[in-house]
Amino acid sequence: MSISSLVMHVRPEAIDAVTVALGEFEGVELHAVTEDSRLVVTVDQPDNRKASDTLTRLQGLSGVLNASLIYNYFEPDTDAKEEGDDSL
Amino acid sequence: MTVSRRDFIKTNAALAAATAAGVNLPGAAKAEDGIRWDKGVCRFCGTGCGVLVGVQDGRVVATQGDPDAPVNKGLNCIKGYFLSKIMYGKDRLETPLLRMKDGKYAKDGEFTPVSWDQAFDVMAEKWKAAMKNKGPTSVGMFGSGQWTLWEGYAASKLMKAGFRSNNIDPNARHCMASAVGAFIRAFGIDEPMGCYDDLEHADAFVLWGANMAEMHPILWSRLTDTRLTKKGCEVHVLSTFENRCFELADNGMVFTPQTDLAILNFIANYIIENKAYNQAFIDKSVNFTKTPTDIGYGLRPEHPLEKKAKNPAKGKLTNITFEEYAASVKPYTLEYTSKLSGVPQDQLLALAKVYADPNKKVSSYWTMGFNQHTRGVWVNGLLYNVHLLMGKISEPGNSPFSLTGQPSACGTAREVGTFAHRLPADLVVMNEAHRKYAEQVWKLPAGTIPPKPGYHAVLQNRMLKDGKLNAYWVQCTNNMQAAPNMNEEGYPGYRNPENFITVSDPYPTVTAMAADLILPTAMWMEKEGAYGNAERRTQFWRQQVAPYGQAKSDVWQVIEFSKRFKMEDVWPAELLDQKPEYKGKTLYEVLYTNGQVNKFPADPVKDAAGNVYENHESADFGFYVQKGLFEEYRLFQYEGPAAKKGHQMADFDLYHKARGLRWPVIDGKETLWRYREGYDPFVKAGEGVKFYGKPNGKANVIFAPYEPAAESPDDNYNLWLCTGRVLEHWHSGSMTRRVPELYRAYPGAKIYMHPDDAEARGLKRGQAVKVETRRGELVTRVETRGRNKPPKGLVFMPWFDASQLVNKLTLDATDPLSKETDFKKCACKVMAV
Repeated sequence: MSISSLVMHVRPEAIDAVTVALGEFEGVELHAVTEDSRLVVTVDQPDNRKASDTLTRLQGLSGVLNASLIYNYFEPDTDAKEEGDDSL
Repeated sequence: MTVSRRDFIKTNAALAAATAAGVNLPGAAKAEDGIRWDKGVCRFCGTGCGVLVGVQDGRVVATQGDPDAPVNKGLNCIKGYFLSKIMYGKDRLETPLLRMKDGKYAKDGEFTPVSWDQAFDVMAEKWKAAMKNKGPTSVGMFGSGQWTLWEGYAASKLMKAGFRSNNIDPNARHCMASAVGAFIRAFGIDEPMGCYDDLEHADAFVLWGANMAEMHPILWSRLTDTRLTKKGCEVHVLSTFENRCFELADNGMVFTPQTDLAILNFIANYIIENKAYNQAFIDKSVNFTKTPTDIGYGLRPEHPLEKKAKNPAKGKLTNITFEEYAASVKPYTLEYTSKLSGVPQDQLLALAKVYADPNKKVSSYWTMGFNQHTRGVWVNGLLYNVHLLMGKISEPGNSPFSLTGQPSACGTAREVGTFAHRLPADLVVMNEAHRKYAEQVWKLPAGTIPPKPGYHAVLQNRMLKDGKLNAYWVQCTNNMQAAPNMNEEGYPGYRNPENFITVSDPYPTVTAMAADLILPTAMWMEKEGAYGNAERRTQFWRQQVAPYGQAKSDVWQVIEFSKRFKMEDVWPAELLDQKPEYKGKTLYEVLYTNGQVNKFPADPVKDAAGNVYENHESADFGFYVQKGLFEEYRLFQYEGPAAKKGHQMADFDLYHKARGLRWPVIDGKETLWRYREGYDPFVKAGEGVKFYGKPNGKANVIFAPYEPAAESPDDNYNLWLCTGRVLEHWHSGSMTRRVPELYRAYPGAKIYMHPDDAEARGLKRGQAVKVETRRGELVTRVETRGRNKPPKGLVFMPWFDASQLVNKLTLDATDPLSKETDFKKCACKVMAV
């Protein structure tokens, strides 16, 4: 499992669109919007793979200038096999 | 995990983000999460972000951007975010591994677990044999800008004072040796005069070969804030291909590789022709010089390009007049420069005007685009020329700033003297007074430290291949993957049967797998550490968790290894006769229990809240290892030849309390801008600006012309090959590729290519292709879209991927002055597999 928080710097004119987009993600919560168009967001996912996908997609949303990651708590996934370095 | 505990953690996560964004969350209160938090520093780039490290049950379970850290103010980039996982890759090395056959060491044997004692027995035997056969120049060490301060200091002392070999060099040679060369030539003192505060003070930013958006995301977020909130702020970006920084750029310029030399001379010419220069500043603080030209490309001496060079590796400056300087830059007209560089005239003009406007504060940033350049020292210098002509230097917002790629490239590689020619605090082995002073601090007989610089990074690989360097130790870096021309130099060198190669690493990297002995290394929060970032900020952390398996820190390994040598094994009788009291002693006793390094007791390490932290080195050696090494290093800063150059740091204990301090630290006060009255304690009232690293207090403007690259595309190898990095992975990927999320985000390298170039070769996006140079070939996939958009004629490939070793292709051409490789320019061809 993985719990994280982000501050997303968004173009002012894109705040509404980004807010709507966030609502479509499972496990993503919007906590606050600042006056200078930053969003305070948490991402709560049952496994690290889902967390990774979500974070990548959040950063790629149209209108997002910069997504800074603030807090991360994780417990290793017990069942899911994760990729490591496969090259050696 | 119970629901309530999950909610607690989520609340804390939201609160942390809200704090970083400067907003309150009504009704939310910080919950007790059972996690012990302490301050730390990020393990990755040279930005030096503060992170809070959360430990529970002896394991790092959480990290958080440190809201009290001035560098990042609570933010982290994606790599910093996954920091807590880098120690927990599945293939962490647990024990030393020695290549063995039939129960004995064999160069062609299989890696077999051995004890630390066995490992050091074999290693010491090989080192003693090498020194007996060929003397001290047959042993060497390759270190790192990721070493902690004391790791680098202890290693440098072991090599230079103990083994009397200057063959120690850091991977920082590949990273910012050119920056160092230019600092010393222009200012006489290493490292930037400005600091990150310039990111808020500047009116205009210019990026020269630095993809900050991906490589220094936190600094980029500060720059972005300034651009979006300050009226009239401009961002100019120069690169040989379009990268993510262009999204914010007001003036994005793609130039033909190597023509940055011409563009900078054009700007200087523009400033002079328009009489925009700062005459008062020039009169008082600037000295005009020129550098020898046609200096070769740092290849092996028998290479045709070296034979052809008129002044190979020459760099002695000649004084010239302002008029002579003006005449030198005169040929770099707008028309000529635009044609040579491929940058449209109006864009070049807009760039020149920013620098020439006396009312615009300009900060310039660069990283590998400037430094990994066969004219790297020159091109760094040409940018200083522009800032010096305008007097735009050493004050808030006016800042030529060399960024670094490693967490302690400055603090360790540069400051404690791990280069083949350096000693602590900017002292150098070539200078007799400097050697004498180092010998005095280290309590060594006169003549211990050899005066000749040792083998630099690229030369080490050549000497391994040639069988002149035979016992070799690599710590804290993945140089087989990182160094150029692996096929022709690196790999044959490591596998040369005459050589014994030891590699210390937490993971089985490409370098470790090419070694004869692998030593498992404690990393990051498994040891007490200190890094120095790009803005001269020194930051400490405490050991948070126990090392994995039998792993030990690099400093432990260096000190423990020194116990294996009697002084008689390493010093000639004449030298030992000067210090008869050292006879029969070990290197350990002479170097590390010398009354200075072992001065402080191994008392429990505590934070302000009373939490107690382990320290595995102190527990083993019986004294406070880190404090003793740091305090001995500080002696170099306060007395002797370095004392007047402003390298002073605060005492050890203060750094465990502060969120880092920028040196020089005088009376507990840090220095933000150097060389200017009011900011720098070394400049007295009434002196204004004083470049006190130079005897006359003046900085050097150094003219250097445009000269072509070592290897350019031709009819056969018809594309420029540029290598570099991506956001998700740090350097060779030895840590970040082991974090599943980062691996997934960017699993394998690919080659970025212009769609027209792909079409001309009949290639489709995602297709497997062969990339070939005169030195080797590899197979990768072609990418015609995405974050990097090369112009026609150039391809870009990142080097993080151990399954696609791009350094099989690169040329080991170096800047003849800095000895730093040009990883950005060689010629290749790309075809369907």
